[in-house]
Amino acid sequence: MMPIQPVLLLSATLFSVGIYGVLSRRNVVGILLSVELMMNAVNINLVTFSHYHGNHVGQVFAVFSIALTVAEVVVGLALVILLYRAKSDVAIDGAQALKE
Amino acid sequence: MLLGLTPVAWALVALFGPVVAAFLIAVLPPLRQQGKPAAYLAITAAALSLVAAAALMLRQLGAPGEALVETTRWLPSAGRNIAQIGVRIDGISVPMLVVVTTVATSVQVFSLGYMAGEPPPAFGRYYAFHSLFVFSMNTLVLAPNVLQLFAGWELVGLTSYLLIGFYWQKPSAARAAVKAFWTTKLADIGFVAGVVLLFVSTSSFAWAPPADPRVHMAVGFLLFLAVMGKSAQFPLHVWLPDAMEGPTPVSALLHAATMVAAGVYLIVRANPLFQAIEVREVMTWLGAFTAVFAATVAVVQTDIKKVLAYSTCSQLGYMVSALGAGSLMGGYFHLTTHAAFKALLFLGAGSVIHAVHSNELSDMGGLWSKMKLTGVVFMVGAAALAGVPLLSGFFSKDLILEAMWEEHKYGPFAMLLGAAFLTAFYMGRVVFLAFFGKPSEKAAHAHESGPSMAGPLVLLALLSIAVGYFGKSFAALYGVEYHFHVGLVTYLATGTGLAGILLAWLVYGKKAIPESTFAFLAPVGRLARSGAVDRLYVLGFRHVALGLANLIGWVDRYVIDGVMNFLAWATIMGGRRVRKLQTGNAADYVYAVIAGALVLATWGYLR
Repeated sequence: MMPIQPVLLLSATLFSVGIYGVLSRRNVVGILLSVELMMNAVNINLVTFSHYHGNHVGQVFAVFSIALTVAEVVVGLALVILLYRAKSDVAIDGAQALKE
Repeated sequence: MLLGLTPVAWALVALFGPVVAAFLIAVLPPLRQQGKPAAYLAITAAALSLVAAAALMLRQLGAPGEALVETTRWLPSAGRNIAQIGVRIDGISVPMLVVVTTVATSVQVFSLGYMAGEPPPAFGRYYAFHSLFVFSMNTLVLAPNVLQLFAGWELVGLTSYLLIGFYWQKPSAARAAVKAFWTTKLADIGFVAGVVLLFVSTSSFAWAPPADPRVHMAVGFLLFLAVMGKSAQFPLHVWLPDAMEGPTPVSALLHAATMVAAGVYLIVRANPLFQAIEVREVMTWLGAFTAVFAATVAVVQTDIKKVLAYSTCSQLGYMVSALGAGSLMGGYFHLTTHAAFKALLFLGAGSVIHAVHSNELSDMGGLWSKMKLTGVVFMVGAAALAGVPLLSGFFSKDLILEAMWEEHKYGPFAMLLGAAFLTAFYMGRVVFLAFFGKPSEKAAHAHESGPSMAGPLVLLALLSIAVGYFGKSFAALYGVEYHFHVGLVTYLATGTGLAGILLAWLVYGKKAIPESTFAFLAPVGRLARSGAVDRLYVLGFRHVALGLANLIGWVDRYVIDGVMNFLAWATIMGGRRVRKLQTGNAADYVYAVIAGALVLATWGYLR
């Protein structure tokens, strides 16, 4: 049985990198990529614990999660395109219309 | 069964004839704008009411004690019937019904001649209001409970307003109408409060007194406030003299014979509610004071209608005082006789005004030779009012004074006797100034009025003589005993009345006593003429009511609105502060989400 600590550490690192990316990137595409990283950290967690508990539900969830991520990316990229059309730019700090 | 109709059906005819006429005149413009047809329709309806009233009277005389009540549900609420609407035919409502319909019919016929100079649409409007008035008054008179009486009460108030303001182009008439409306409405607050209090304490609108004596007294005082407004008792009499701005026949019908007597009628009708001893004491004294006060003011008026208006105030004071002293018969009988001779006097005055085109006594004079008929009937009315023996006013006035004497109310008795003297004096003055002496310029071309005006005058003159002899029948209707007997009071009253007339003759007729003899009374005259009560109201309004209103306005503007404005301002300011949190930067939101997640995680871990 392989120890799970290194794998969880990898997952946590990946999640933190994702958060950092979301917070620090100005480019919306970069933010989307960072979100993907965070999703993958979650998937790793799911698979790890599934393996650890000898239970396949977690792996099934991981597959679902991947499918959902694909859909989310589609929506996200569509938003990016709309943002580009509206602002001729994909920088996040230009999009402040929510404020008012 | 009378002529194939039941008594209730007759009552409904008296009630709905005029309202149908009013409705038709109101909704059919051609009828209204033609004038004359509207008048004939209204007179037909009024005459129909008169026939119905006469039929009911015949029946009532046959069975004096009987009361016939027919009602239907009104204002049903949650399965519980709050009030009834309908008719009550008994010894109290029927005589008043006869009075109202008789005077109304006479006045409407008289108006055919008197108002002939009006443009046809105004003529139609006039008759629509008159029909509405007859309906309203009959609603009031036939009311089986206080609530319906109140409805009629307000309706006659409305028609009074409309008819006083008939010449609405004249600012003084419009003002007088508003003044009458406001003054009576102020008093009617008492009616509303009284009726509500009555309903709360007895759960019905019948005129059965509440059990609690304090509530009984309160209801009595509140209703009496309404009576003071409607029947022009001091100090709420101020609207009645101004109401003379209306056409003279209107003054005869509404402001002399019927509508102003509604207050007196209310006391008679709902008598059990006025039985509290304090209320009766106030009625006796206030009525007597009004009688003598208004008679004093009447002496110095130069406008013939104003003299009659103050005289009406004074006579209403007589009735109220009599009712206060417990003489139901005296008050009601005087109402009946007064309706006849005061309507006659007003119509006679109308005939004179029609002839000389002026209200001022100084513009009249010497009319006797030119207007024999008017002169005769006017003198009959004046003599009846002055209490000349064997005319109707003599019997009713004697009855009142007699009752005062027997109740040992010597104060009010003396005041009423003084008022009787003044009444005889000012009526003598009017007669001698208007009909005798040198004719003025305007009076020189006067001529007698046409038959439509003469007919009602003669009818009312006959009634002014005859009604006095029906005392026994009236007494039977009210269920009391009545025997006319000559006693000390009779001699006193007659002597006072004749003395008043004699003095008037000496001063204004024979001019044996120059007017300057009374110079020492000039301050009283000035005070009476100046409208002191009116000025008191103005002062009270300007300084007390307006001051209070300003104070309340200030409190509202700065204290109540201030609190509200501060709350609004604080909300806006707080909102502005909180809004700074929302930067629009997506990263900031993510920070907030992560911070929140961390806080929750820490909290969960520590717990």
